[in-house]
Amino acid sequence: MKKSFRTICALFVVFAMATVVLAGCSSTSTPSSSTTGTTPPASTFKAAMVTDIGGLGDKSFNDLSWAGLEKAKTDLGIETKVLSSKSIADYETNLTNLASAGFSPVFAVGFLMTDAVSKIASTTPDTNFGGIDIFFTNPPKNVVGLNFKEQEAGYLAGIVAGLATKASFDPRLNAQNVIGFVGGMPIPPVQRYEAGFVAGAKSVNPTVKVISLYAGKFDDQAKGKELGLSLISQGADVVFAAAGQTGIGTFTACQQSKKALFIGVDTDQFLTLTNPGDTILTSAVKRIDNAVFSVVKKAKDGAFPGGQNLTFGLADDGVGIAPYHDFDAKVPQAIKDAVDKATADIKAGTVTVPETLK
Amino acid sequence: MSETHEASVVRENLWMKALRTAGVPLLSVVLAMIIGSIIIKASGMDPLLAWGALLKGAFGSPDKWAAGNFREFGDTIGRATPLAFAGLALAFGFRANLFNIGANGQLLLGSITAAWLGLVLAGLPGVLSIPMILIGSALAGAAWAFIPAILKAKVGAHEVITTMMFSWIGLYLTSWIIAAPLKDAAGNSQTPMLAQSVWLPTFDKILPGLFRTPVNAHLGFVIAVVLAVVVWWVLKRTTLGYGVRAVGFNQWAAQNGGISIAKTTVYALCISGALAGLAGASEVLGTNHRMFDEVSAGSGFGFTGIAVALLAKSHPVAVVFSALLFGALSAGAGMMQLTANVSDRIIMIVQALIIFFVGAETVITWFIKRRQKRALEEKGATDVA
Repeated sequence: MKKSFRTICALFVVFAMATVVLAGCSSTSTPSSSTTGTTPPASTFKAAMVTDIGGLGDKSFNDLSWAGLEKAKTDLGIETKVLSSKSIADYETNLTNLASAGFSPVFAVGFLMTDAVSKIASTTPDTNFGGIDIFFTNPPKNVVGLNFKEQEAGYLAGIVAGLATKASFDPRLNAQNVIGFVGGMPIPPVQRYEAGFVAGAKSVNPTVKVISLYAGKFDDQAKGKELGLSLISQGADVVFAAAGQTGIGTFTACQQSKKALFIGVDTDQFLTLTNPGDTILTSAVKRIDNAVFSVVKKAKDGAFPGGQNLTFGLADDGVGIAPYHDFDAKVPQAIKDAVDKATADIKAGTVTVPETLK
Repeated sequence: MSETHEASVVRENLWMKALRTAGVPLLSVVLAMIIGSIIIKASGMDPLLAWGALLKGAFGSPDKWAAGNFREFGDTIGRATPLAFAGLALAFGFRANLFNIGANGQLLLGSITAAWLGLVLAGLPGVLSIPMILIGSALAGAAWAFIPAILKAKVGAHEVITTMMFSWIGLYLTSWIIAAPLKDAAGNSQTPMLAQSVWLPTFDKILPGLFRTPVNAHLGFVIAVVLAVVVWWVLKRTTLGYGVRAVGFNQWAAQNGGISIAKTTVYALCISGALAGLAGASEVLGTNHRMFDEVSAGSGFGFTGIAVALLAKSHPVAVVFSALLFGALSAGAGMMQLTANVSDRIIMIVQALIIFFVGAETVITWFIKRRQKRALEEKGATDVA
């Protein structure tokens, strides 16, 4: 009987080895057929992206970048691919695998991929790389940084907030002339939102008081709620949060207290939050999808904009402001006109929005 | 006649022992892969293609090896290195019946120490600075384990609670250090890049003849292998190791035998912490050359180390192989996504299944014992006949 157990074990090992050997053999022959099978034979242009550990479904940077690639797939007929990362060690592996599989450009989402992109770009000069929210120092010819003029979106949000706090189209708007800002961490993109928000509000309402609070974290909804309530207790009736998940807590504070309106960030948060209609006025948005699409298009036309850091602003449809949705009928025409005028001025270059607080 | 019979019994026992120590983990891996295949098949993908891609992503292919390109294999070794250190840390604790579940905190303290000392000692030659940094990180890891160890030894506070709590403190403490005093001028969530003098050399720098293209595998892996042998020797041949094993086996019996439970607990947990600290140092000096904020990097080597040690059944040398398996699984997952369209989450399921089956060892030993019993009964029956 012992022998029979031994036999069972041996069989298992043999089976395992057979599986491994078979798998090894199949790997050399099958991939080529599977890749050619799924793609139209005419298309040889392949673009891809590597997500950060947030992965697809984050309703933010990763999803927006993928939306840009999907648009390129539909409009330009190219092949696309996304690889998700579980930890920081996956960045390099995923970027290298995509490069060796012939994808170019390959987009890396997020600042933490800076080292990985720089390292791999130097060893694979034939592949082009794009870094979302990455500012490269001396990028080589095959690397482009995609950055955004968050201050311009913040400026438009500031105009909405600065005028709304003086208006009375909603019972929550008080007479204290105070608006609030919640930041995730004091890093450049968030600080640019803040600087633009303050400048925009002051441009239409010079006496407005803007209170800024920082959570120190992007993933702490409880802290975001606490800061939101703190702003409300200080009289703020419009609150703009550039704080990722933390900002969702700030939204909850506004909605539950019924004392303030909320302005979202990065994506149109009316579409991503739950039942936001009664509280969300608008969102300051970053059009990462447009930026990714434009780089892919240029690359396909043989003019990959490598060797530089691009900044996408209002003029390039790289940032903007979301629709008012449920508030559209309530928001006075004067606010809408002021936003349109500022948009035109910024695009024309007659107004330059500061990147930092004065 | 009786002598040969005894010899065969001894052989049989050795064989059973080997089966129990190596067979169960191997069987677990195979079973996990079979169930993983069923899941892949059920999600409409090709399991053979997926495992083939995994192997290719983890080890490369012969044509690349012939050209001296061991990038994939280097990736596996690079990923296995922190897991080997962390696995050793957990295994050492397990031997003393201590579950150092908060090893990740000690690891982060080791990382931040390396990231800081690496900046301070940048001017020294590597042969001096690297050993100093490694010792500093080991001490930092040990220090982070010391308070839970003292609490356990003096008032009996359970190390699962205390090390875990300290792991959270370590996570946010290092996160703050990276955001404020050690912030990189270029951006958030990372410390400044270290000078090349303190980098652990990669295999292509050590053996340029064999590794003709850059690889991620670095000297840290060699250090981990050497340490695995040292830990094995300490456990097997030294008084301290004897005490650790005795306390782990039965602490009251050990105490009766004159071994101090308190002292052994403190030593064991601090050594475990030191090994975890080295995991952090090797990652900073060998792989990233800076420290990333764990809150956004999400590496969690200390937690995977638990799985590594469990699969190795806390045998220090087996830890190295166990770490290599986990390294290969994570290195190959990317290729599996790319060529077989299989989500990398499948790999996490396989890893979880491996642990599940190792944990289900009792079921398997029960199965073996039942077989033995039935065999004896049958033998008895034939004897009577």
